[in-house]
Amino acid sequence: MGKIKQPKNLSSRIKWLRDYYFEGTAREWNNEFRPFTSGTPWDSNYNEMTYYVVPETYPFFPTFNSGLIQGAYKVDTPKGFYDLSIAERRALFIQRTIVDYVPQEILPGDLLCGATFNIYASLCLSKKETAIRNKAILDKKSGLRKRTIEFHDRGFGNCGPTSGHLQPGYAVAVTKGFEYIYNDIKEKYDDLSQSDKDGKKGHQLKAMMTSAQTPRLLAEKYAALCEKFAAEEKDPTRQAELLKMSENMKVVPWKPATNFYEAVQSLWFTHMLVMTDENYPGPGLSFGRIDQYLYPFYKKSIDDGEDPTFLKEILECLWIHCNTAYDAMIRVGMNQGITAGYGQLMMLSGMGKDGKDLTNDLTYLFLDVIDDMSPILEPKPNVRLHSNSPEKLLDRVCDMIADSQGAPFLLNFDERSIAGLLHEAKFAKLQHLINPDNVFDYGSVGCLENTMVGNDRSQTVDVNLNFLKAIELTLGNGKDIVDYKDQLWGKPYKNIQMGPSTGDPCSFKDFDEFYAAFLKQIKFIIKNIVDLYNTGDALRRQFFPTPYLSCLVKGCAESGKDVTQGGAEIKFVTIEGVTFATTVDSLLAIKYLVYDEKACTMSELIKALQANWVGYEKLQAIAKNKAPKYGRDDEDADLLAQNFMKFWANEVPNYHTTSGHTYRPGMLSWNYWVSDGYILVASPDGRKRGQFLSNAICPSNGADSNGPTANSNSVGTVLGGKENGEYVNWLPNGASHTITLNPSLVADTGHKEKLKYFLKGYVKNGGTALQINILDVETLKDAQKNPEEYRHLLVRVTGYNAYFTSIGRELQNEIIERESHATI
Amino acid sequence: MDATILDIQRMSTEDGPGLRTTVFFKGCNLVCGWCHNPESINFKPDPNWFLSKCIGCSTCKTSCSHGAIIRNEDGIQFDRKKCQSCGACAKRCPSNAIELKGKKIHVTKLFNELIKDEAYFGPEGGVTLSGGEVMMQAEVATELARLLKNKGINVAIDTAGCYDYRLLEKIMPYVDLILYDLKVFNPIEHMSLTRVDNKLILENYKRLIVSKVRLWIRTPIIQNATDTDENILGLAEFIKEAGYPERWELCAFNNLCRSKYERLGIEWQYKEYGLLKRTRLEHLTALAMTVVPMAMYSGAVADI
Repeated sequence: MGKIKQPKNLSSRIKWLRDYYFEGTAREWNNEFRPFTSGTPWDSNYNEMTYYVVPETYPFFPTFNSGLIQGAYKVDTPKGFYDLSIAERRALFIQRTIVDYVPQEILPGDLLCGATFNIYASLCLSKKETAIRNKAILDKKSGLRKRTIEFHDRGFGNCGPTSGHLQPGYAVAVTKGFEYIYNDIKEKYDDLSQSDKDGKKGHQLKAMMTSAQTPRLLAEKYAALCEKFAAEEKDPTRQAELLKMSENMKVVPWKPATNFYEAVQSLWFTHMLVMTDENYPGPGLSFGRIDQYLYPFYKKSIDDGEDPTFLKEILECLWIHCNTAYDAMIRVGMNQGITAGYGQLMMLSGMGKDGKDLTNDLTYLFLDVIDDMSPILEPKPNVRLHSNSPEKLLDRVCDMIADSQGAPFLLNFDERSIAGLLHEAKFAKLQHLINPDNVFDYGSVGCLENTMVGNDRSQTVDVNLNFLKAIELTLGNGKDIVDYKDQLWGKPYKNIQMGPSTGDPCSFKDFDEFYAAFLKQIKFIIKNIVDLYNTGDALRRQFFPTPYLSCLVKGCAESGKDVTQGGAEIKFVTIEGVTFATTVDSLLAIKYLVYDEKACTMSELIKALQANWVGYEKLQAIAKNKAPKYGRDDEDADLLAQNFMKFWANEVPNYHTTSGHTYRPGMLSWNYWVSDGYILVASPDGRKRGQFLSNAICPSNGADSNGPTANSNSVGTVLGGKENGEYVNWLPNGASHTITLNPSLVADTGHKEKLKYFLKGYVKNGGTALQINILDVETLKDAQKNPEEYRHLLVRVTGYNAYFTSIGRELQNEIIERESHATI
Repeated sequence: MDATILDIQRMSTEDGPGLRTTVFFKGCNLVCGWCHNPESINFKPDPNWFLSKCIGCSTCKTSCSHGAIIRNEDGIQFDRKKCQSCGACAKRCPSNAIELKGKKIHVTKLFNELIKDEAYFGPEGGVTLSGGEVMMQAEVATELARLLKNKGINVAIDTAGCYDYRLLEKIMPYVDLILYDLKVFNPIEHMSLTRVDNKLILENYKRLIVSKVRLWIRTPIIQNATDTDENILGLAEFIKEAGYPERWELCAFNNLCRSKYERLGIEWQYKEYGLLKRTRLEHLTALAMTVVPMAMYSGAVADI
């Protein structure tokens, strides 16, 4: 292949903006985090809990906690500030910060207002509140930080109440305006009894009323700035644009948008301010079905005779703006795709009621924009496919996949996804909110996590559980089988009885006995992670409201509760199962080695794992090469995988948070499958400590020796397959599935047609979401050697794209290894 | 009823229209010097050794009860006269460094394996029975084709056509497409390059044309063997006279299979041959098209 995908058909304006963005740290302007403080001696502006799911940041907590406040700008707070509720304080503080302290800026030629928005705002806590919060988090013996770090160091996984990962009700903001949202909240406030007005509900609604006005106040500033720039502008074309931008800002987002330009401007402003409110840049904060709710505006603008190329440029400006979210930590080192971890997802195409396809002209315009702008990381488009997807769309999708190294979008599969959402409606008794009449309007957040839109708080990456730990606990009768150390200081943890005593594994007579013990340990690790997460969730509920975001999530105004307090109509927390294939393959290996083939005893196997397979190379080779594996469309292996899937997926919804969220299962492993591979002990499938774990729902590396179709069939089977011809899906959140195809598959038109058949087959047999890399080993190796020539080479990692040259060497090697096993 | 097969390749894009699952039958009655699947020529299953996978544990040697395994400084070698094709070495090898090329599989089991990708076949794809020479196992191949056809699967066979036409007559009711090899036109050269005469092959082609079955001709383009203007024109004139197929594919040679020959201990005369030049292949295709309009080429070529 040799050459990487280049952007094309860009106007000089967009080309300049795109090139400027890629100058990175060399840029004069950026959107780096700006810290702000209330000025009290105890103030803090860093909520480390939102980073508990990013273990790479653990060593920096003390620095962030003290450093960010030291360099912070002081924002004046009014008298009686601390008599207000925390939500009111935050609403007011953030409003003042973004309107009066953060500079309003417009880049040359940019068509959208709203440039600088990443802030660390004061947590606005009183001295007493700070003391309670600090004790809960920082206590050296039982604080949440210590518990979280030890939990991770011992290989259980990670969890913490993080931000984003939802689809706010953007369609309401764009079509009805914040005036409507404000009035709606005010009406609800006015209807409260006096005692409610003075209580929690009243305080929350007042905070939301403040927040609902922030977009208007900021828009006024931008309108004035555009007028000022217009007055100074010599070029009449640009002058007219600036005046138009000023007019836009006088309408939206306060009033309903009346045309496409206003609608996109309104959408960006609304979206940007969520990131400001959460003090977190774009973590899975997603747009929902953008080609559906923007379509009426697009159609009107086209009917009014507006220039389609200008409408395209407006969207391309939106693309640039979404990418500037990354500036937040522009100077922080890059490791394992952290810089690729934000995911502002947008859904394109997909089915409507009764399976009817909803692709429209705007869908195709979005695809043109993606094609012309890529490679670029954000936003992350997700094309929804189903059995009635039009050929024209499929052809366009296949062409774009063929021309890119990693498909410039994710693919989501409606039938399997919808089956999962209807399944969760059933177990959470939410059929009045998720049912065949509306489920097709679902969207995905972050990477591929399926949720409903505008009323759903699913917290999709807050809880990440390593299944493999349960294998170790079964082998250790509830204890670790090796010593685990503090990753930062190297101090060993005590090996204590953590899981239940499920018996000495050497005494198990058959595999069924082992499996029964393993399931008990699975139950334990689920309960264990829930206990830890619920502690953090309760703290967030108490101290970290997001009143602006709450304006955009249905249920919050109605209940008078913040979205962090269970205000949303639909409330879940997702447990993302990590290391699925490594765990299943380990079970298969134990069955094969110890019970079926008697290649070793249980005691020998444990010793081999403790020795990291050193001195046991022959046994390791048997485990790797002879034991069955998941991912080959092998009925027996996949049946075990399916049984385990069903078990854990049914166990999860038995748990709830203190704010009334139900736990639900999903499979996504971000970059944990890389880093936790260095923590977790060697596994019975032949993996050494230090080698990667399996990724999300994908088979273990190289295990899919029967090719992509067999791999996909296995994925569909373990999600539940089909029952009486109906799709089954036990993972409502969805499951990340990545495959790599060799470029020869898409070499010419005839071959692209074959890719289309593959996708159509995937609709029938596969999982919920698919990422495709079209890469050959030579290109990747060359990129490792000459990174400067491949700065823009995008690869799919697991539900997200990352720049190949910016990810760690280990992950690069892993991707190369994955590709080397592609069989086509 | 059992078939002896070499391998099953799923999601194949090169064995007929659409996405296909191809089953390679073992055993062939032609011995073409350039053969891409040399391990498919012999009817008997053979063990193969892969240096890169070997961990040097000698388990194979102890597991062989026929004394057919030799371990020396070059690694593992097989005394193919002593080898009984029992597969014990391959079964016990911990790292799969020994593979037994060829296995017997019951036709029902094979059928069940081949339909696993039905969802991906689409309107054009299906199952291709290839080889070796699939028609060397005509009885089981016909039964397999019948099972597939009854299931509504598109069936193609890939054959060199050097056998009694009655075998084709039996399988034809269950076959949607025949991929038919015409390699060399000159009978003397055909004999020297493939060790068989091409008379029967050419006659069977004429009969197939009369039968109206859907036909694709495939001609491997091999340097210093089949890639002469004379050969292509000779084949083209024959095809014109006998009757046109739906397409005539000139398949570019590559030497990616050379390690297979090394593993079989065969010195391969084509191992150093690189990719064909694009200009050469385009020239041959243009030449073919002057007589047979549906000629085309496929496969990787060199642009320099």
